[in-house]
Amino acid sequence: MSFLGYMRPDGSVGTRNFVLVIPQGLIAKSITDFVAGTRTIQTVDHGSGRTANDRERIARVLTGLGKNPNVASVIVHAASPGVGYPELTVERLADEIAASGKRVEVIDPAKDGGVYGAIGKGIQLARMMVYEASKLRRTETEDKHLCLGVKCGYSDTTSGIAGNPAVGYLFDKIVKAGGTAFFGETTEIIGAEQALAKRAATPDVSKAILDAVAHREALAKSTGLDIRTVNPVPSNIKGGISSLEEKSLGAIHKAGTAPIQGVLQYAEKPKGRGLYFVDNWMGSFSIFAGYAAAGSNLVLFQLGGGGLTGRTLLEGSPSVVAPFLWCTANPNTYAMAKDNIDFYSGTVIENQEDPAEAGERLYQTVIDIASGTRSRSETLLYTEPIDLYLEEPRF
Amino acid sequence: MPAKRALIMHPKDNVATSIEEIQPGDQVQISRGGVVRNLTAIEAIPFGFKIALEEIPQGAIILKYGETIGKAGRSIARGALVHVHNLGGTRARGDLEGRENR
Repeated sequence: MSFLGYMRPDGSVGTRNFVLVIPQGLIAKSITDFVAGTRTIQTVDHGSGRTANDRERIARVLTGLGKNPNVASVIVHAASPGVGYPELTVERLADEIAASGKRVEVIDPAKDGGVYGAIGKGIQLARMMVYEASKLRRTETEDKHLCLGVKCGYSDTTSGIAGNPAVGYLFDKIVKAGGTAFFGETTEIIGAEQALAKRAATPDVSKAILDAVAHREALAKSTGLDIRTVNPVPSNIKGGISSLEEKSLGAIHKAGTAPIQGVLQYAEKPKGRGLYFVDNWMGSFSIFAGYAAAGSNLVLFQLGGGGLTGRTLLEGSPSVVAPFLWCTANPNTYAMAKDNIDFYSGTVIENQEDPAEAGERLYQTVIDIASGTRSRSETLLYTEPIDLYLEEPRF
Repeated sequence: MPAKRALIMHPKDNVATSIEEIQPGDQVQISRGGVVRNLTAIEAIPFGFKIALEEIPQGAIILKYGETIGKAGRSIARGALVHVHNLGGTRARGDLEGRENR
């Protein structure tokens, strides 16, 4: 017994109960602005001019969000510039999501009276779908149905010594209970990859970790720049981090100590449970949407913040359908942005708790929010536009 | 005046992380696993920044978490601030490609 969640037809369990409208754009935005309990993804990445691999990534994000356990039902519309490509047709998106057993409705301006007609039909449908979804009740379930994703950001030295270790404890606990957890940011394991490779469940996984780092480091070197002109970012350096290796060695603490079961691409759903490394990019407005598309039903941002000043209001949720938690171990950050912070572990630095005690408190916070308590960012209507992690050239 | 506190992450480390604002001349207490070490800060060490636990010659490896976080770009005195001015990263250095590794 653990959290209270929404049972889905495919056996997954949601921590939220949204109606999702995809793809991005005017129609989806109009419907979700009008109807309570709905979500859409706001992004400029619609596939036009993108390679087949990148279009497939976009499709994986859209269908992955549709299949996410936090989504009760989905409306797909046929007016995105990308729908002409085979990867992004309405039929493909709708069929793949419907295979999870969810209700999927399609609206098409060409058949439904133009854009105005499609918006009107979408609003009518969405209202009934939200009403229908609201009849579902939460039931008590197990930790194995949690699928977490984490990123650490605005990192400073509190991240490595207190913030990330608390998340690491949480990850170990969820993985031990049979759940799933994602960490990533390939640039930010450079310097720490040997330690991670040793934790790989198989030699293939170990090689995949080292290969991902070698590829990323070669790209970094090809710029002719010292990586420190890019990453660590200025706020990291202002917070006391002196090199990429130092940042990486602190960053991996958020992944706990469990064996690494695999290396996933952006928005790729794992085949099993356990801890996974995702070969992705650190961008806040990119990484969390990818985790949600891979099935995360709750995500965490472990914030350092030593280099931030005046940020009393932090960004709105960039995870589309997954509740998003702000965690910090920096007492100054906590004092500055207290009403944004879901969890504080500066207590470890202040000698009031050890990392395991802080981690246990974080676990309780996660269970509470998974069961329906809003995360601080969920009290905002504002959400961030999403920058999909697409790697290939545009034409 | 009570000693200021800094954390050492691994017994092999030659730097510690301050968890208080440290002023030049402050006594700094570094404890790990019941072993307590003391040193005098010779520079200001802001919260979250690193202090050298010993003299670190130019080119020597700087260790935190028991792992390499960079090399000393110049000789660093015991009790000095260790940061981007005297610590060089060793990874993803496109600027050093094709040259001798410094």
